[in-house]
Amino acid sequence: MGDDPTTVATLRNGEQLFVVGKSVQRLDSVDKVLGRPIYTMDIVPENALYLKVVRSKRAHALLKRVDVSRARRHPGVVAVVTAQDVPGINESTAMLPDKPLLASDRVRFAGEPIAAIASYDTSIAEEAVDLVEVDYEPLPTIFSPTDALRDDAIKIHPDGNIAKHMKLRKGNVEEGFRHADVIVEGTYRSQFQEPVPLEPEAGFVIPEPDGSVTCVGSIQSPFHVQTGIAKILSLRPEQVRVIQAATGGAFGPKSDEIPIDVLGMAALVATRTRRPAALAYTREESMVGHTKRHPFEITLKAGVKENGKLTAWEARLLADTGAYASLGPLVTIRACFHATGPYEIPHVKTDAYCVYTNNTMAGSFRGFGGPQAHFAAESHMDEIAKKLDMDPLDFRLLNILKPGALTATSQLVDEGCGLEECVKRVVVESDWYRKREEYSRIKGGKRRGLGIAIMYHGNSLGPEGNDYAAVHLQIDRDATVRFRTGLTEYGTGGPSGLIQIAAETMRLPISYFRLDAPDTDLCADTGPTVASRTITIGGRATQMVAGKLSQTLKEIAATTLGVSADQVEASNGTYYFKADEKRSVSYMEVVEEAFEKGISLREAGAFTAPKCEYDPDTSQGTTYLQYTFGAVTAEVEVDTETGQVQVLKMVTAYDVGKVINPLSLEGQIEGGTVQGIGYGLMEELIHKDGVVINPSLADYYIPTSLDIPEIKSIVVEYPGQLGPYGAKAIGEPPVVLPAPAIVNAVDNAIGVRLTEIPATPNRILIALTRTRSNAPRQMGGQRV
Amino acid sequence: MLKFTVNGKDYAIPVESHERLLDVLRNRLWLKGAKEGCSTGDCGICAVLMDGKLVNSCLVLAIQARNKRILTIEGIGTAENLHPLQRAFVKSNASQCGYCIPAMILAAKNLLDHNPSPTEAEIRKATSGILCRCTGYVKIFEAIKEAAQEMRK
Repeated sequence: MGDDPTTVATLRNGEQLFVVGKSVQRLDSVDKVLGRPIYTMDIVPENALYLKVVRSKRAHALLKRVDVSRARRHPGVVAVVTAQDVPGINESTAMLPDKPLLASDRVRFAGEPIAAIASYDTSIAEEAVDLVEVDYEPLPTIFSPTDALRDDAIKIHPDGNIAKHMKLRKGNVEEGFRHADVIVEGTYRSQFQEPVPLEPEAGFVIPEPDGSVTCVGSIQSPFHVQTGIAKILSLRPEQVRVIQAATGGAFGPKSDEIPIDVLGMAALVATRTRRPAALAYTREESMVGHTKRHPFEITLKAGVKENGKLTAWEARLLADTGAYASLGPLVTIRACFHATGPYEIPHVKTDAYCVYTNNTMAGSFRGFGGPQAHFAAESHMDEIAKKLDMDPLDFRLLNILKPGALTATSQLVDEGCGLEECVKRVVVESDWYRKREEYSRIKGGKRRGLGIAIMYHGNSLGPEGNDYAAVHLQIDRDATVRFRTGLTEYGTGGPSGLIQIAAETMRLPISYFRLDAPDTDLCADTGPTVASRTITIGGRATQMVAGKLSQTLKEIAATTLGVSADQVEASNGTYYFKADEKRSVSYMEVVEEAFEKGISLREAGAFTAPKCEYDPDTSQGTTYLQYTFGAVTAEVEVDTETGQVQVLKMVTAYDVGKVINPLSLEGQIEGGTVQGIGYGLMEELIHKDGVVINPSLADYYIPTSLDIPEIKSIVVEYPGQLGPYGAKAIGEPPVVLPAPAIVNAVDNAIGVRLTEIPATPNRILIALTRTRSNAPRQMGGQRV
Repeated sequence: MLKFTVNGKDYAIPVESHERLLDVLRNRLWLKGAKEGCSTGDCGICAVLMDGKLVNSCLVLAIQARNKRILTIEGIGTAENLHPLQRAFVKSNASQCGYCIPAMILAAKNLLDHNPSPTEAEIRKATSGILCRCTGYVKIFEAIKEAAQEMRK
């Protein structure tokens, strides 16, 4: 498909594209539809031991005694490991050094690993779990950030219960409120959302004869795992080889410390027993043990003029990061920067706190603070519009970010901002004004509503880390181009997109390319595969490296053709002399020539994004190098008898800068939209006294094929400054807006504002009962 | 002793009374296409066809498969000769992480075996026992529709 050179896309700068922008088939699809053994637990060595984990039953306690002697004596048990068996540093963390691999003196959440038991038979290891005796001395427990911030609260970690306090100060918020005619306040709460990758965490470790180890697993970030395992085993990083197996979904938790938990425990067993050791979490262990989306409590106070112009925005964000920080501090930073939503407001004050509790851990999850911030901001925008008696869409359009505007961090919005077009496109496609008017006249038990939410999303890591990616290209003698990078494929299609970019740069058919598995022995450090950065950052590295290799090939072709290299053009696997296209040499011949002459056909290199400069005390400055923009409408039907909300249609529009692969892009948008619908309507991991009470897919609901609405996705392209061809991030953004769009649609349907998600039937009925007597019915939109 | 047929081939293997069909397929016959996602019958990604019925192989004891015909993803097509459903899933980008895909394809095959021209509602119902967390199901529905059309030709 993508090899057809006849259709050509043209960029705004006149550059022609041959493969980029086309729906090229992904390179991993055939293995997957054949059910080939490619995932971690499909390829465990036959002589492996299997681990089961002993986990804390208490949310907060001192460990007085951990007695594993009975478990050790259990027939069939080969090894039992505890904190005492860690040869290096007993630590498995994402950024702050706060979490042990295995608890030694204290546990901070129910489900924390204390010991691991290995047997050749999983069921024997499972039996032995119950034979480990643990004596706990209970400590006071904290299950909400508000309680954690009290002066007399017990310190969960030595430095106190605040893992991060991020401040944003733009202008003078008090002055902004003085200019306001109306002030609107509200508090919005969101829940623990469970990522539910369909493949639970899994990994195995092979002890090598020279004392090094090979780790294979279901992971997002091989180099982070390498560093983590080396620390635990007291090895040098190069003695730890990490290979990513095909990964059955990730969504965040497989990027940070959880794969280090899994492979770390397996590595302790493997190095002691000199046998391969494997650990696969059960669904319950996965739901309890890995990181989830942070619950946030967000209090907003907005000042606005009668004419609809926002003057001031004050926000206080409390994020529950659970017992250990994971990447909570970075989630909090991102939420802080995005807490106003995509609006220009002259005076902003935000305080965001990442707080420890004795709940299970929250951390990376697709969206990374964006969904929580936008749920609050976009719910609040509708509430303000209601107070002003304005259509919520018209009110938004008065305040949205456009080229020339300043964001909350006082970053100048450049021409690469398609937000207004996104809004206008969803308005037309959803038939906004007519339907809002029509639905306002519906009577009876089943009401319909239409809601909107809009967003921006700072691309890649920005202030969240050193933003680099490395790529290797190597041409084999059979002319195969091997593409290698530490950026991982876990369902996104990102690495296939990189190959499209390499094929474009080299003007070679995609069929020559092969994607090698990420392997720390064979790739340079690439940083983590997170933050939707594969295409933006990895794409830039790919352009650079493929460009160099392409130049080498051109030079060889030029010698063969007897012309200078700048007179040679490459097209679809042929190199020809520009002045006389009949004089040409094929790619295969050029490769053979290189091998005969001993010219290296390997290139490697890394791209590092420019640093984001901003004031850490006020968050003013450049926080991200480009932004993705989006708008979503949700059309819902609410049954006022049962409280059931059915989403009928979602219209989404995203400014993605430049589409690399339309089919992959749609997949990301549709999948993210449905995950966002789950977040808004049904998904909630519930803790009771720190214990997760619904850790199963029978009790935690994610959308099924019967739950999804019609999804219409629109794409607009306003090229950004960072990504290849102006491409922007799209992995995460689609999960951000469905929840606020649905909640706003529910309000439009039944005149009830839900300030807490998910919008379960129970919450709808309670809210209806509370407001039924006195709430006036919201009328349809009026054009201003 | 469990005697059964898997992907057209007869087997007789000793099994333990507690072993599940999923264990026997994955660990004895080395057929890794059926995946373990929850072990409680909630996610559906271990689904295989047993005498033409879609079953969660994590909830079927191996001995319950006695004298039955089992079809797994490995029995559907090969790299050189993909089944129309496999071809359509590749073409439509219906596979992202791929973990649910073997079960999805078997569910779709089961549907098309009984109903060559399903409506979208019927496709949704037939796949509703299998969770997918990546695609939002849209491309999966498209692939099944396309395969149905192809198979009717």
